[in-house]
Amino acid sequence: MNRYLKLVHLEVHRFRYALFSLMFLTAAIQITGLVHTTQVRVKGWREAARLGEHSTRNFSFADVIGDLQFLFAIPILISIVVLGLYVFLIWYRDWIGRDKFAYRLFTLPTVRRNVYMAKATAIFVFVFAMVSFQLLMLLLERQLFNWMVPSEYRMSSLFAEAVASNLVFVRFLLPLDGIQFVVYYGIGILAVFVLFTAVLLERSYRLPGIVYAILYVAVCGAAIGGAVYLNLYNYFYPREITAIRFCIYLMVMGFTLTLGFRLVSKKITV
Amino acid sequence: MIELVRVSQKYTYKEVLKDVTFTAEKGQITCLLGLNGAGKSTILKTIMGLTPIHGGSIRIDGEEINQNTYERVSYIPDHLAIPASMKLSDALRFMEDFYSCWNKDRANELMRFFDLDLDERAGRLSKGTAAKFNLVLGLAQDSDYVIMDEPFAGIDLFNRERIAEVFSSELVGNRGVLLTTHEVKEVEYLIDKAVLLRDGVVARSFECEQVRSEESKSVVDVMKEVLLT
Repeated sequence: MNRYLKLVHLEVHRFRYALFSLMFLTAAIQITGLVHTTQVRVKGWREAARLGEHSTRNFSFADVIGDLQFLFAIPILISIVVLGLYVFLIWYRDWIGRDKFAYRLFTLPTVRRNVYMAKATAIFVFVFAMVSFQLLMLLLERQLFNWMVPSEYRMSSLFAEAVASNLVFVRFLLPLDGIQFVVYYGIGILAVFVLFTAVLLERSYRLPGIVYAILYVAVCGAAIGGAVYLNLYNYFYPREITAIRFCIYLMVMGFTLTLGFRLVSKKITV
Repeated sequence: MIELVRVSQKYTYKEVLKDVTFTAEKGQITCLLGLNGAGKSTILKTIMGLTPIHGGSIRIDGEEINQNTYERVSYIPDHLAIPASMKLSDALRFMEDFYSCWNKDRANELMRFFDLDLDERAGRLSKGTAAKFNLVLGLAQDSDYVIMDEPFAGIDLFNRERIAEVFSSELVGNRGVLLTTHEVKEVEYLIDKAVLLRDGVVARSFECEQVRSEESKSVVDVMKEVLLT
């Protein structure tokens, strides 16, 4: 356990600058967009008030977030792509370059599944660090909004309304429904394990391993996709369908971890 | 004792090692010799579990390879296996964190012996300096065996002499050493036992002193005889 945590620390430490860069990019784009949009709105409101138009209604933080769909989506999509690529790079970076760290990593006096789990944990830490950072950013942005907009123009809104006003948040990043959140992130975690095992198939069997990896991802993808779109409401109660889905996810997870641990312990070639 | 019995290994369909059998004893320096592609590095990797074997067995003091093996056998690959961005001081801390057999005093002694700078980053080391630091990482473990892959490759004459000094010093002591090298002439006087490999097969295995006294031949003479005929 101790060595597992040390390995997690090592992996997080190695990606820290990239993670901070993603956070900086997210903050920079979102704050710039927020400041600009809020300034335009305040200016428009003042102009309308000067001309005596009383039809302009006050606006809320949620309205501004709703206006910034695209600008808020860009850094989030960039982060998703970077973290998605890092799922592969977290393994391959230890094989490439002059100093192949894989030699050291796989001769550490610890069970090798710790290496596998530490890399997976690091990816989850990065994902949840980005999600937490986004939530913190929303709090900061709301404060910024409150500073910029005079109270007579401002309409109060709930934090959840701000989240719900942006499609990227509500559909992908921060589903407001608790079960949906667990399902989304649960499938995400499962996908990371499937891709890890695919990488290990390639690292163990090299050229034929690429074929095995593609087939493995296809089979797991079909099983997960089939479970997501399972439509047997004529035969089962919704709770039963949920239970079936859960069983399929567990089976894929169990098989993926078993295969992954076996490959990393017995088959991998450095 | 490191013991390989009829070890075979395949890479896709090509047999890289065929029925490789030999032992490397504690307190001795055993050298794996052969031409390029003979399978020397592959043997070291199989001992460290870095590539699977497809037949035979490998035992270290009677035990199969497991996680504890890495506390008893230290491995020095032919390159520095730490991230390029890591400072040498961080690399030493990393080793101390993970290996309970890490000997901090010996590590400091070796750092002084090789005159290495703790603040330097691994990626910025010259080949010779990287080789020396690689030896620090391997020899500062209180292990029973040390496995070295080409410790002299690409190293200049003076650094080679410095590295060769280590073999006959207390830093190696009574450990068992298994190494591969192409610079046979320069380490011949240090080697106790030689294992000659040809195309993944052990062509001959012998005690160097015995061959010198009984056949009046050097290791290089035997190599020429076995590998070039």
